[in-house]
Amino acid sequence: MSVQPHFNGSAVPHDWAGRYYHIDQILNAPGPRTDPAFLAGDEVKDFLRNQVKILVIGAGGLGCEILANLALTGFKDIHVIDMDTIDISNLNRQFLFRQKDVGKSKATIAAEFIMKRVPGVKVTPYHGKIQDKDDDYYMQFNIIICGLDSVEARRWINATLVNLVDPENPESLKPLIDGGFKGQARVILPTITSCYECSLDMLNKPTAFPICTIANTPRLPEHCIEWASVLEWPRIHGDKKLDTDDPEHITWLYKAAAARAHEFNIEGVNWSLTQGVVKNIIPAIASTNAIIAASCCNEAFKIATSSAAYLNNYFMLIGTDGVYSYTFEHEKRDDCPVCGGEALDLSISSNTTVEQLIEMLVEKQDIQIKKPSLSTPTKQIYLQAPPQLEEATRPNLSKKILELVPAGGEITVTASTLPFSLSLRINYT
Amino acid sequence: MADSKDIESATTAIILDGIVPDSRTRRYDRQLRLWAASGQSALEHSRILVLSSSATSSSILKNLVLPGIGHFTILDKSIVTPEDAGNNFFLEGPDSIGKSRAEETVHFLAELNEGVDGRADTRELRELLNDPKGAAEWLGTYTIVIAHNLDNGLLEKLSTLLWEDESLPPLVVVHSAGFLAEFAIQFHEHTIIESHLESSPSLRIDKAFPALRDYALSLDFQNMDPTDHSHIPYVVILVRVLEEWRNTHNGLPPQTYPEKQAFKAKISSMKRKFDEENVEEAESQAYRCWTTSAVPSEISALLSDPRLSQPALSLPPFFRLLKALKKFTERHDILPLTSTLPDMKANTEEYVKLQRMYKNRAAEEKAEIREILVEDGGAEGVDDVLIDQFVKNAHRLKILNGRKWGTLEKEKDGERIINALESSPKQAATHFGLSALQRVLSKRGNTNQSQRQGQLQPPKITIEELTAEAQALLPSGASLPETEWNEVAGELVRAPTADLPNSAAFLGGLVAQEVIKMITKQYVPVDGICVIDLIETWTGVI
Repeated sequence: MSVQPHFNGSAVPHDWAGRYYHIDQILNAPGPRTDPAFLAGDEVKDFLRNQVKILVIGAGGLGCEILANLALTGFKDIHVIDMDTIDISNLNRQFLFRQKDVGKSKATIAAEFIMKRVPGVKVTPYHGKIQDKDDDYYMQFNIIICGLDSVEARRWINATLVNLVDPENPESLKPLIDGGFKGQARVILPTITSCYECSLDMLNKPTAFPICTIANTPRLPEHCIEWASVLEWPRIHGDKKLDTDDPEHITWLYKAAAARAHEFNIEGVNWSLTQGVVKNIIPAIASTNAIIAASCCNEAFKIATSSAAYLNNYFMLIGTDGVYSYTFEHEKRDDCPVCGGEALDLSISSNTTVEQLIEMLVEKQDIQIKKPSLSTPTKQIYLQAPPQLEEATRPNLSKKILELVPAGGEITVTASTLPFSLSLRINYT
Repeated sequence: MADSKDIESATTAIILDGIVPDSRTRRYDRQLRLWAASGQSALEHSRILVLSSSATSSSILKNLVLPGIGHFTILDKSIVTPEDAGNNFFLEGPDSIGKSRAEETVHFLAELNEGVDGRADTRELRELLNDPKGAAEWLGTYTIVIAHNLDNGLLEKLSTLLWEDESLPPLVVVHSAGFLAEFAIQFHEHTIIESHLESSPSLRIDKAFPALRDYALSLDFQNMDPTDHSHIPYVVILVRVLEEWRNTHNGLPPQTYPEKQAFKAKISSMKRKFDEENVEEAESQAYRCWTTSAVPSEISALLSDPRLSQPALSLPPFFRLLKALKKFTERHDILPLTSTLPDMKANTEEYVKLQRMYKNRAAEEKAEIREILVEDGGAEGVDDVLIDQFVKNAHRLKILNGRKWGTLEKEKDGERIINALESSPKQAATHFGLSALQRVLSKRGNTNQSQRQGQLQPPKITIEELTAEAQALLPSGASLPETEWNEVAGELVRAPTADLPNSAAFLGGLVAQEVIKMITKQYVPVDGICVIDLIETWTGVI
């Protein structure tokens, strides 16, 4: 017996009888924990299969899994964005890619694979950055799922979706489901629940070695590797940019680090550690990605269909000692720079200079802004760009904040990488 | 570029073989960072048997094929139905309908990794189990067996057969329906050296070994060059200050709160500059002086295993090493030293010097373990790599006792069930719901795939039917928690045979992860029944 899919004129394939036997058990009847608004039967099926448009950000470890799950669940109009190309080290978990695909666009190859494997699903790839797209683009989707490993990109999309919310237009509220490679899945309803920015302080601080340790007193193999990439590479290669994806560059760093380690009697520098340190590699396996991606898609399905209550609002899995998970409601922050509306109180010493404040903002766990520009409602304090303005405001760096901002006054912090500004209310100690 | 050439010539001496990893190592790079070459080798030598090729089974296998198991067999005699084609990513939609389900899924799974060997077996489990001897021989060729939604009668038979002979592989039992699922691993005993648990070994500041103590006492802190002073590692400072303290306190470390404060003040007073970082570090680590380095209670418990009184040679390597460790702790009242020293404020010279002291001492103590092993006659077949691993991880060894599948229900007094119903009613209700559902379906023959073919309506099951079956599983006097049970039962009768793609993918990840832990003998697998609810999105263990 073989059933061929039938296509009508508009090239939309018909589903075969029995295709949704499994999913339809859920869509044909409510369960005890289903919202009364759930419209069991044809209406919800039509909405899921013919009307919902969903965006997947990232076609990597989480993205591949997310795309496959969404397609099988019955989402038919899927868009995917990814700026990366396929690397050999992706193949141990990014299961839509094969050896022959190495070097090609992740978004394109993933889309092609899904469309071949799951008939009738349209996947529209975009090989590029999320920042290339404007509000109109994001407005077209019902739900957005993020499978990213970049904090910056997630902050950007989170802020963009919060800004998109127009209280007059319910359609403008786009649920954001965020999957984290470390084992988190969460549902964000922009402006209603806690957003990505609200929980920024939950992120682990990246390990940073003091520059004097790297330069003068290395103790660990990592210190030697940092020396090679941070100090020795620019010294030898000048302006030539270090490409951490280039094995030859890694090999050069490895040799430099190994020589330094040898000189200092430090053991343990090898190629793999070198690559791990300079690329800040986080170990990754198929199974963790599968769990988190499945959880994200399950939430998307429940939100799209109302067939069951959805996650409120944070799920975290730790799988090293047995199976341990934690489900909790992360609270919205009133002083969240993206969704809170209130200025963040910051107490500083009256001696603090502009330069020191900038350093503080870069360091602070709940702020983490790489190149902040500062201004008050009436004047510019320091601007990172354009060059003329940077030069004009540079003399302020050594000034005390107290000279520029009165106690209780506000400073607006902006950065080119973030589509929002942060208001600080300054108090002096 | 002249300098870079210098570096190259300087390093050629210490670079022995190919520097850049080969393509296999690069493919597995992200996972090798989790379980190293030893874990990878265990995976590559493993043979997995999966009973059925449901969406869930395929998802589990996907997450095992990708990291590179050696071999997998899918035992399934059924033919791909239109329903299968709709929910399994490892079938090619309608093109697969009518073909052998095992063959199709093996084909699409094997594509994921050229290094993995996959085979479809279209025989029937029922018939195979009718010949227990032949079945045991066949099952014995596998490392682990995984069964998803298997007929209850067959599961009883299979789990008993695998349990009766300790040499037969562990069994992973997976049940799922709609948004609810559970799984458990049946195994006899699982010993883990590389548990990766986050407990850190003692630095022995309170019981400094001679080289460390001598070094700490040899330093003239008072007349030292200020720069040198700021480079003495906190470990050395603490050993010295503690020694001095003990000399004036009857050999005792600080006991009371005021004493501890005084001790910290003593450290603080050593500062030459107001921000001497190594001294500050010593102050913040001062608690190590009054935390006694002793054998942790979890490890003591392992050392009281009655088997350790048996002759070493009759024991497996893990227990021979444990026996040697027991003797070592009886002599020294402490675990052998590990050579790993955390990073601390110091210059290179001082740090490396200290590191070498730890390393030498650790090597001596490891040698003592080896000597004990030899004296005991247990050294045969225990290589140096294993001893090394064992000693390094002595503070976080782990033994899981394991149990047969279904034991929870068969306990005479039912104490664990009663506890679970009280302390975790949601989890317990879900477990009993899934067990009851499996029994109801098995009675109707509905889990047998070939019988279900072409039948597009899911079976109608009533809440009363399910409740009666669940109550029959409870010990007398126990009852189902009402609210939780209603939620579970209602959800199960809604979708009794739904193998949802997202639930399948979630279980696929979770089960594969535990299977990898079992195979690699690294990390700690789940000990008990893991229950999953994908409505509220939680997991729990009973």
